[in-house]
Amino acid sequence: MRVEYINPFVEASYNILKEVLSSEVVRGELYLKSSSTPVLGVAALVGLAGDVEGRVLFDMTKATAIGIASIMNGEKLNAMDELAKATIQELANMITAQAVTKLHDLGFKFDLTPPALFTGENMEVSSSQVEALIVPMKLSCGKIEINVAIRERS
Amino acid sequence: MSSAAESLVLDRPDQDQKEGGERVNPVDFKMVTFSLGGKDYGIDIMTIKEIAKFSNFTYVPNSFPYVRGVYNLRGDIISILDLRILFHLPVPPNDSDIENGLILRLEENVIGIVVDSIDKVIGISSRDIQPPHPIFGDINIKYISGVVENSGRLYLILNAESICSKEETARRSDAAVPARTQLPAAETYSSAPGYVEAPAGGGGAEPEMDFIRDTLKTFRGFYVTPLNDAWFSKRFGEWKDLRQRKSAELQLKSAGDADDYLESFYSADTGKFWSDNLAAQYLRILGDASGKIINVWNIGCGKGYEAYSLAGVLSRKYPGSMIKLWANDNDLIAISTAPNLLFNDEDIPEYLSPYVVMGKNGSSFQTDFKNKIFFEYHDALHPSSLPDLDFIFVRDVISFLNHENQVTIFSQFHEKLKPTGVLILGDNEQPLDSSAWKLVPNSRSAYKKS
Repeated sequence: MRVEYINPFVEASYNILKEVLSSEVVRGELYLKSSSTPVLGVAALVGLAGDVEGRVLFDMTKATAIGIASIMNGEKLNAMDELAKATIQELANMITAQAVTKLHDLGFKFDLTPPALFTGENMEVSSSQVEALIVPMKLSCGKIEINVAIRERS
Repeated sequence: MSSAAESLVLDRPDQDQKEGGERVNPVDFKMVTFSLGGKDYGIDIMTIKEIAKFSNFTYVPNSFPYVRGVYNLRGDIISILDLRILFHLPVPPNDSDIENGLILRLEENVIGIVVDSIDKVIGISSRDIQPPHPIFGDINIKYISGVVENSGRLYLILNAESICSKEETARRSDAAVPARTQLPAAETYSSAPGYVEAPAGGGGAEPEMDFIRDTLKTFRGFYVTPLNDAWFSKRFGEWKDLRQRKSAELQLKSAGDADDYLESFYSADTGKFWSDNLAAQYLRILGDASGKIINVWNIGCGKGYEAYSLAGVLSRKYPGSMIKLWANDNDLIAISTAPNLLFNDEDIPEYLSPYVVMGKNGSSFQTDFKNKIFFEYHDALHPSSLPDLDFIFVRDVISFLNHENQVTIFSQFHEKLKPTGVLILGDNEQPLDSSAWKLVPNSRSAYKKS
């Protein structure tokens, strides 16, 4: 993945998470992972198109997702209901959109698709022929792994 | 066996007449059938002493690959051949130590053969045996005495004597030829992914060398393989002198010692812009451009000095072509400064000076020049979506991968490189499989596909 793309995603994730959760967020060590990625339980996916092709996946456990949704909505949610799902999708949208805006300022043109949410046990995501950058984020209510896979359109 | 079969053929007309011209062929030939690599074979039962299950072969060093070893058969020592290896057939995995086999009694001696599985004994008429067709591919024709059909299956009848005589000649030539030369070194390495850093040549006999191999791996992740073995052995000689003069210990005690040992390994101008002299050397190696777009892969670009130098050389060599250079490193900290590299104007060699612009914080490269290079945070062992490449530039990177990954990455290079493409390794590196690559004339470490 191009070096120029990395920072916008890291910064956007950090800024948005810190803002919406209004608590301390710690970024973990970045690393690369190839193709197959197990999903923790709740995954929000935003597709990228334009100069590049790829996707951003926000991966977290169900408990973390409910925790985030509760804080963002200002009320205690107990299950992964419609409201919680919509909240997680919105979070994914906010982070990706801010990253894409930053990239646009640097001269890279990206479009993004509406977020899709996947929930379930023992899921796995495979993107063939592209490796993913993993940005781990530690939050007060658990951890989110932001999994960015982008490749140049050939 | 063949003489017995012939005499039966001669007798046959009389037999037929006695049976009043009936079309039923008499059963006069019995064979034990077995399978090798999924196909059916038979051996004349008269040559078979017994059917056996072998375990605990005693390995015989320096024997041919198809000689499994010797075996103690109730006090008699017999040698055991693996027919599948002799005939180049696939050997199915066998978890147990027990192998199916036959013990053959031949004119001169008794030998054992290993087969996949024993089927049964079948009786046929020697009249039904047809001579082997000369175009039989999978087994050398001299081992086959005939082909026969029985209940819908075709059996190749093996000539036990000729298999044994093969063993005899093999033994004789084995004694004459030194064991090391039987397999070319490259073949041994490429066929053994689990290759441990065992010395191949006679020079590796010194135990200190093995120790240094191990410590280089531990301290600096440097793997001594055929890729860099030539340098390693040469350096060992220098190192011995050096340490003796300093009256220091030969062994590497720390990461610092490992760095000292590796000092002469690194290619010229590592971690800085190439000198005009080095750039001119690479300029000479580059051939004519094959197209309008030149795709280049630079692995281990670090802070980007190498990538910019390379882009400068390529721009000079191919002014009319579009250069696309993918510069990768898996060190995020190093590569993250690469796209906006700043430097002092006096550090810039002459061949790069046309692309420099002055800024308030220092000199940098022009945007057009920078746009030729895509700096990517990428692990070269992961899949990538690169197009077919004209050049792969990977100096002093592969030596820091383990042997298995080295094999993987070389096969990836072979796949990605265009037929006219050039692979450039570090000054002290050479391809693992020397048969797949050939050195570009007048170059030190540039290779084309052979």
